[in-house]
Amino acid sequence: MKCYLCAKEGKSTDAVGVCIICGMGLCMEHAVRDDIAMWEGGYPFPERKMNRTMPRILCPECNAAVKK
Amino acid sequence: MTNLTKRAAAECIGTLFLVYFGAGAAAVTLMIANGAETPNRFNIGIGELGGLGDWLAIGLAFGFAIAAVIYSLGRISGAHINPAVTIALWATKRFPAQDTVAYIVAQLIGASLGSLFFAASAGMDAITIGGLGATAPFPGISYGQAILAEAIGTFILMIVIMGVAVDKKAPAGFAGLVIGLTVAGVIVTLGNISGSSLNPARTFGPYLGDLLLGGSNLWGYFPIYLIGPVIGAVCAAFCYDWISSGE
Ligand SMILES: [Zn+2]
Ligand SMILES: [Zn+2]
Repeated sequence: MKCYLCAKEGKSTDAVGVCIICGMGLCMEHAVRDDIAMWEGGYPFPERKMNRTMPRILCPECNAAVKK
Repeated sequence: MTNLTKRAAAECIGTLFLVYFGAGAAAVTLMIANGAETPNRFNIGIGELGGLGDWLAIGLAFGFAIAAVIYSLGRISGAHINPAVTIALWATKRFPAQDTVAYIVAQLIGASLGSLFFAASAGMDAITIGGLGATAPFPGISYGQAILAEAIGTFILMIVIMGVAVDKKAPAGFAGLVIGLTVAGVIVTLGNISGSSLNPARTFGPYLGDLLLGGSNLWGYFPIYLIGPVIGAVCAAFCYDWISSGE
């Protein structure tokens, strides 16, 4: 797969990841990799942030939409 | 995790809501029925106007308050709002001892504030006629029978908490609704027997309010609502662990 955003700019770059939301192929430059906090517990225990995080790759557009 | 002070504050607020709305509903029922001729001495006024429907209404006032507190504060503190539940989670090594003490103190303070705010909202009749919704064994019910009823009622409550919330296989999202309805259902049956407290804090608040504001002194009955609920909840937690082990 090629990077969708690079293709729009007329470049052909191999994709290294896929946006989990829109499915867009992404090159290293365009992929936004984030570590998502994980929580454990909940009623009847207080929720606590776990030491582990979950990695997630998004395109810049979806990342901006999620962060809003 | 939220720090202990804030979690204790959440327990305090949650128990305040429970006592204000739950025990408050019992007091209002007595105020509404005040002056009516009751058919027998077992009927002290609750049930005079709607039979068991009176108890269902009181039960639902508790149930809705419990569900609201669990859904809103459950992730902050765990929303135990009941020392018997906190002690049962501690006894089965699910909850640290230091937090257990802080939670119980917060629950007792919250329950007392709930009763004082209810008295402030509803006036002196809430104390002299409604007794602030304090629990006591009903006419003809002995001390031992009331302890047994409280123990069995709290056993069921804690089994449900274990099954719908503590057990990791429990379906998500139902805990508040099911636990609230369980308390409502238990109150329908046990309300007119032991008062169906199931919770030492729920009885502590109205007892303290009545004592401070010139109502009856009911503290002689307090051991019923300490011993019954704590034994019931602790037995239920160990019982659930045993029946669900080796699945
Ligand atoms: Zn690219
Ligand atoms: Zn995307």
